[in-house]
Amino acid sequence: MKLACVIHRFGKDIAGGSEGHCRLVAEHLAATHDVTVLTSCAHDHVTWANHYPAGESTDGLLRVRRFPVAHRRDLARFRDISRVVFSGRASVEDEDEWFRVNGPDVPGLLDYLRDHGREYDRVLFWAYRYATTYFGLPLVAGRAVLLPTAEEDRLIHAGGLAPFFALPSGYLFLTPEEAALVADRAPVRAPSNVIGCGVDPIRDEGRDSSSRLAEHGVADPFVLYLGRIDPNKGCDSLLRHFSRYVAGGRTIQLVMAGPANMPILEHPAIRALGFVDEAMRDALLSRARVLLMPSPYESLSMVLLEAWNHGVPALVNGRCAVLRGQVRRADGGLYYRTSAEFGAALDYLLDRPDDARALGAQGRAYVDREYRWPTVMAKVEDILARVTPSDERRTTNDEPNDERRTPNDERRYRRS
Amino acid sequence: MQREEPVRVGTIMPQIEAAVRDELRRRLVSRGGPPEFRDAEIFECVHDVLARAADRRGTDVLLLPELLADEEAWKPAVELRLSSHRSVIGPVIVFLKRRLLLPLVRWLFEYTEENFRRQDYVNRIVMACLEELAIENARLRRELTARVPPASPIAGR
Repeated sequence: MKLACVIHRFGKDIAGGSEGHCRLVAEHLAATHDVTVLTSCAHDHVTWANHYPAGESTDGLLRVRRFPVAHRRDLARFRDISRVVFSGRASVEDEDEWFRVNGPDVPGLLDYLRDHGREYDRVLFWAYRYATTYFGLPLVAGRAVLLPTAEEDRLIHAGGLAPFFALPSGYLFLTPEEAALVADRAPVRAPSNVIGCGVDPIRDEGRDSSSRLAEHGVADPFVLYLGRIDPNKGCDSLLRHFSRYVAGGRTIQLVMAGPANMPILEHPAIRALGFVDEAMRDALLSRARVLLMPSPYESLSMVLLEAWNHGVPALVNGRCAVLRGQVRRADGGLYYRTSAEFGAALDYLLDRPDDARALGAQGRAYVDREYRWPTVMAKVEDILARVTPSDERRTTNDEPNDERRTPNDERRYRRS
Repeated sequence: MQREEPVRVGTIMPQIEAAVRDELRRRLVSRGGPPEFRDAEIFECVHDVLARAADRRGTDVLLLPELLADEEAWKPAVELRLSSHRSVIGPVIVFLKRRLLLPLVRWLFEYTEENFRRQDYVNRIVMACLEELAIENARLRRELTARVPPASPIAGR
C-alpha cells in the first residue's frame, strides 16, 4: 500500500511521545509498504521554529516530505487562549483558535493533503491536539486512520471535538482507556484496534552496569524516575511524596533521569542526572528497584513498558486511569492516590523483594504477550485492511460521520 | 526458583489501601477528629463517599452548578478576556490592553491565576461531595421506604 504518516515534527533525535511512536510504527510499516512521512520543518515543539530544510529526503526506508512552518507559536497568546478553552466557557471559534495557535501552522502540508492526499491508500495521523492533524484529517477523512494519543486532560472536554472524533475512517488506540475516552466524546463506529507500542526484547541482559552507575553517583538501592522532569508529568508531587517518605527514616535514593523543566529539590536522597543516553537508560533500568511514574495524564506509558521489559516493577499514579489500567492488566506493580498510599506501596515493594520481583516478571510477561512488534503490527495491518477509502462525502446511514455535522462543523472544516 | 502463585495487584492494593485508611482514622481520632471515627465501620463509609467524589472523573458534569443561577455569578473566572464596549475605538483599546497593559501586569495575573484555579478545583470537589451525599441519601431513603410498609389509609378521610 502507499501510505502517508502525518506528524507535527519528525527527526532521529526527537524521541518519545507521539513523534517517537510515529517513527517506530512508520519504520515497521516501511518493511512492507511504500511509506511517506508528511511533517513540518520544526524541531522545537514549543516555538515550532523551522529547523530542518523543506522538501523531500529519505530516512532509512522512509520518504520524508517536510513543509515550512508559517510562523512561530505566540506563547502569550497560547496561554491566553488556553485559559479560555480550559475554562469550559469557550465557543467553537475559541476552540478553533486554540488549535491554530497551538500549531504548528504548516499551510503547505494542508495544501499537499488537499491536492495529493487521495494519491495515498491510507493516511495515518498522530496526535489530535496539533494543527497538522486537527485541520489536516478532515481533508482526507475518507482514508484517514487516527492515532489520537488522547489523555484525560482539560482539552479532551472541548465541545468541538465530538464532530472531529467522528471523522476518521479507522482508529488506532494506545490503551483501552484511551479508546473509552474518545468513545465518550463521539461514538467510534469505524474500525478500531488497541495497539500500544512495540518493544524489542532486551539484548545484553546481565551486563554489569554497577561501575557505570557509580560514576554518576547512583548507589544501590535506588528507585527510578525516567523521562522529562516537568510539573505536567507529576514530578512536583513525586518530589513532595518522596521527601516525606525519606523523612520517615527510609534509606533509599531517588534517581531522576531526563531533561528538567522545573527546579529539582536539593536533597541528599535525590540524584538528578539530566538527559541520559540509551546505554545509561539500560544500566539504570537493569538495577532500579522500582520505576516511579507519577504522571496524571498519559495515553500510554512507554517508559512503563521499558521497565517491565527489564523486569522492574512500577509504582504509578492511580489517579491516571491509563497507568492504573496498565498496572492492573499486567499485574506489574502498584499504584497510589495519596502521599500515605505512596509510602505504603513503596514500603511493600522494597520490603518484599520476592513479590516485587514477581510483579516485575509478570510485567515482562505482559509485554511479551501484548507489546512485541509482530503482535502490534498485525493489529495495525488489520485496520489498514479494514478501512475502505472513500473520496465521497459521507451521506448514507451506514456512514454516520457527516450526519452528525452541525453548521458550525461545516464552517470549521471549510475554513481550515 | 520460580514462584508458583502469581502476585495479584487486585489482592495487594485493597490491603494497602485498608492499612492506610486505618492509619488515617487513628491519626484523626488521636488529634481530636469526630468521635464517630472511633467506629471503623462509620469511618469506612464516610471515607468511601468522600473518596468517590474526589476520584470522580468528570467534576465538570455536576447537578448543583446546573441549579445555580448564571455560571458567571459563581464560577471563578480564570481566563482573561480583553474587550471594550466602544464600537469605534474599541479595537484600538483592546489592542493597547493586549500589547501594552497585559505584558506589564502579566506576572501578577499569572501569580493569582494558579490560586483561582485551585479554588475552582476545591469548589468542584466540594460540589461533587455534596452530590455523592445526596445520592447516598436518596438511595437510603428508597431502601427505607421499601422496607417500611405504607401506613394504612385513615378511615373516613
